[in-house]
Amino acid sequence: MAASNQVAIVGYAQSPVRRHADQTLGGLTVETARRAIDDAGLTLSQVDGFVTASLFPSAGAHAAEDGVSLVSANWLAEHLQVNPTYAAGFQGFGQIPGAVSMAVNAVMSGAADYVLVHRALHNPQGRYHENPMQEARGSRQWTVPQGYFGPLAMIALAYNEYLERYGATREAMAAVVSEARKNGARIPWSYWFENPLTAEEYLAAPMINDPICRFDCDIPVDGVAAFVFTSAERARDLPRRPVYVAGYATGAPVTRRLPLHWPLDDIMGIGVETGRRLWARSGVRSSEVDLPQVYDGFSPFVYFWMESLGLCPAGEAHRLVLEGGIDSDRPGALPVLSGGGALGNGRMHGVPQMLECYLQLSGRAGERQRPDASIGVACHSSPHFGGAVVYSADPF
Amino acid sequence: MSALSRPVPVADEQSAPFWAAAADHVLAVARCSRCGAFSHPLDLACPHCGSTDPAFVFSPVDGRGTIRSWTVMRQSFLPGFDVPFVLVDVELRAQADLRMIGRLMDGPDAAISVGAAVSIVFEDIAPRVSVPAFALSANS
Repeated sequence: MAASNQVAIVGYAQSPVRRHADQTLGGLTVETARRAIDDAGLTLSQVDGFVTASLFPSAGAHAAEDGVSLVSANWLAEHLQVNPTYAAGFQGFGQIPGAVSMAVNAVMSGAADYVLVHRALHNPQGRYHENPMQEARGSRQWTVPQGYFGPLAMIALAYNEYLERYGATREAMAAVVSEARKNGARIPWSYWFENPLTAEEYLAAPMINDPICRFDCDIPVDGVAAFVFTSAERARDLPRRPVYVAGYATGAPVTRRLPLHWPLDDIMGIGVETGRRLWARSGVRSSEVDLPQVYDGFSPFVYFWMESLGLCPAGEAHRLVLEGGIDSDRPGALPVLSGGGALGNGRMHGVPQMLECYLQLSGRAGERQRPDASIGVACHSSPHFGGAVVYSADPF
Repeated sequence: MSALSRPVPVADEQSAPFWAAAADHVLAVARCSRCGAFSHPLDLACPHCGSTDPAFVFSPVDGRGTIRSWTVMRQSFLPGFDVPFVLVDVELRAQADLRMIGRLMDGPDAAISVGAAVSIVFEDIAPRVSVPAFALSANS
């Protein structure tokens, strides 16, 4: 068993999530890292490992500059004036589960005792995904000249396949998005704090790339989160209730496709295997998960993850949500967006799902505390191009 | 953004035959010399037989296919496109799961459905530069 509750999160910090921070991303990251270390009851000198995934996930032609539009592990360590024994960046699919897996492996192998995992997201000036390119080279030559470009077109094709195949309607997705925004509106650091969205407002929104409208997309933001990982044994001496990593799994496509082409059968074919791996490697069954947190950077991912995790049969997620099945305020519902997700917080790219698992399982969710939270799953990206982590309140 | 024109494909040594054929309004897809299967997009190895020396030859294919999905682009993140326009994900008749994405020239008010029959057409976007697109077949 990969992680087996041998490594735990022992502290965290989350910056305010804003459209544009009034400081550099690097500055915000340094501050957030310091707060997380302090929250864990540690001193900076004890932190010897730094891990992140520093991808700047925009399709636009924005400069990728360390400290400005992204923050690497080494950049952070240097600016904290730490010479780390272990600093690493995850380059694969599913930035958050990938970074968590590297931190877990570092602690388990003894490469570092206390590992800071951070994720820094940036909203550049100008339109986020807009790209003024005049030439399409390399793999782009096969799709860009035709006008196919950007993640909205990518997810629109997959979502439309789902709607057509299963007879789903936008009304069901209105329930998803309003649920995410309802919960995000309860979170003080969220961009959407005190700003929920009704189903009517969702349905009235104009299309961008049919059937994707503005509210199906998370809003680009500046924001940073940081978590401290250490061994379960060392966690016992620290002030916060540990949240253990029970296991993790990722999925990657094997079928050669055009760039940004995600056929629904690719997503779900691999996605089901990602789910199977997750349960096998974490030693839990899907029925034992009381706090699933599905990824929602684009709203259709909610269906894809719910079905990949086996929370409902294939093609049934839209029906379940329409019946109130994911209303986190309803007893017995699947609280898959209780943390607000990306739609409810802002484009924090897998962080809200992880943060909700941490806050609930450590008993630190305050007014939003769910009394029954014991096993959580934090998902990120697509089930076929991403991954998930299982967290446990107890080291079973 | 509207002052900029549509992005043009830049052919490379591997893809040059595709674009040369397209300039003549011919759809030619890379065919592995070892197993005979078509690959689109082109890769360094054959994704069907795994050969690392596939010696791809671009061969003309039947331009007919069926729609697997579509989207209506009402905002474009690329320059030079007049919105709204339709993009279709097409499975070509030439081989199972051989897929191509292109503009549907019939436009957003056409009767678009999964399974509808389409045929390849070409858009001339610059001198000697033509881009594959699709049109609904007359009998669909």
